[in-house]
Amino acid sequence: MTRRGWIVAIAIALAATPAIAQTQPTPAGRIKLASGQVFVVRGGTSAPAEAGQVLLESDTLRTGPDGRIGVMLRDDTRLSLGPGSEVRLDSFLYTPAEGRLGLVLSFVRGVAIYVSGKIAKLAPDSIRLETPGAIVGVRGTTVAVRVDPR
Amino acid sequence: MNAPRQPALKAMLVAAALLSGCAPKTAKIDPSAPPADVLVVLVPDTETGTVGRVVVSNQAGRTELASPYASARVTGTRSPRARALREGDVKRIFGDALAALPPPPLHFTLFFRFDSEELTSESRALVQDVLTSVKSLPVPDVLIIGHTDTRGTEMSNFELGMRRANAVRAILIDAGLSPSVIDVRSHGELELLVPTKDEVFEPKNRRVEITVR
Repeated sequence: MTRRGWIVAIAIALAATPAIAQTQPTPAGRIKLASGQVFVVRGGTSAPAEAGQVLLESDTLRTGPDGRIGVMLRDDTRLSLGPGSEVRLDSFLYTPAEGRLGLVLSFVRGVAIYVSGKIAKLAPDSIRLETPGAIVGVRGTTVAVRVDPR
Repeated sequence: MNAPRQPALKAMLVAAALLSGCAPKTAKIDPSAPPADVLVVLVPDTETGTVGRVVVSNQAGRTELASPYASARVTGTRSPRARALREGDVKRIFGDALAALPPPPLHFTLFFRFDSEELTSESRALVQDVLTSVKSLPVPDVLIIGHTDTRGTEMSNFELGMRRANAVRAILIDAGLSPSVIDVRSHGELELLVPTKDEVFEPKNRRVEITVR
């Protein structure tokens, strides 16, 4: 391929990307550890989850009274939930070459740990941890969150 | 690297990012959400022991956490209240979640001979370390990215980077790793470990970077 041809090929690939992204969601990460009763809620349907399972943007993680779950996202962000907990992966964008970066997690109930990954290094302001009472902004760190709905 | 082409490519990438609309939403608490009791704690990094910084905010106020085990409590819609916790309290409240946290990713760099997908002898000795770390994980993911120095064209170096990444992939599969856990990519001469001008021999740039997580 000539150099010009190479540039054209990249341009075509870029132009085609949004269409692919709409029909086939990119994996956001994987479940690395699951014990007890753990579920992934996707499109309103809750299904038992297991280690190795791929997670997508908009998935909700939920644990039963004896459940625990550990997750690694594609940018090296780590997330874990203790028993009786629920966290929603509201938004995950990780395409560093295009400057598309962002992470929004909603802590609904229970206990969870967040450890920042590459998105936090490249675009710290694009990260938001939401809880029912407050927003948490982070600068490269480990954060523990507990939510007791009343 | 061919300098004049870079700005055009960057402009195209930025335009693509803008068109796809990735602006973050503004921070706002949903007033219809049921009230809750929220505790946020800054935890030292398990590997380095250092802490970052956290800002907890809502319509009533904000507080910043910057020391180990500093916490903020939010009850209903009241403003966040800061309080220092003890390590023992945090371990008690969050012990189950802390125990479920996956270990941090491990990074390895293997170096190659010039214009070749043959590892240097020092790097060949490192392959065992990579295998050991992969086999210690119940659900491993291995990302292999090939890189080159700036000798040769951008295109030929992209291909050389891919050959290098695939050579490492083959070594790991021969050693018993499942192909399904390995992801292979090339960044060619675009991500130099040691910055150089175009057409410069630099052994440190002829490498494959492996992330095991």
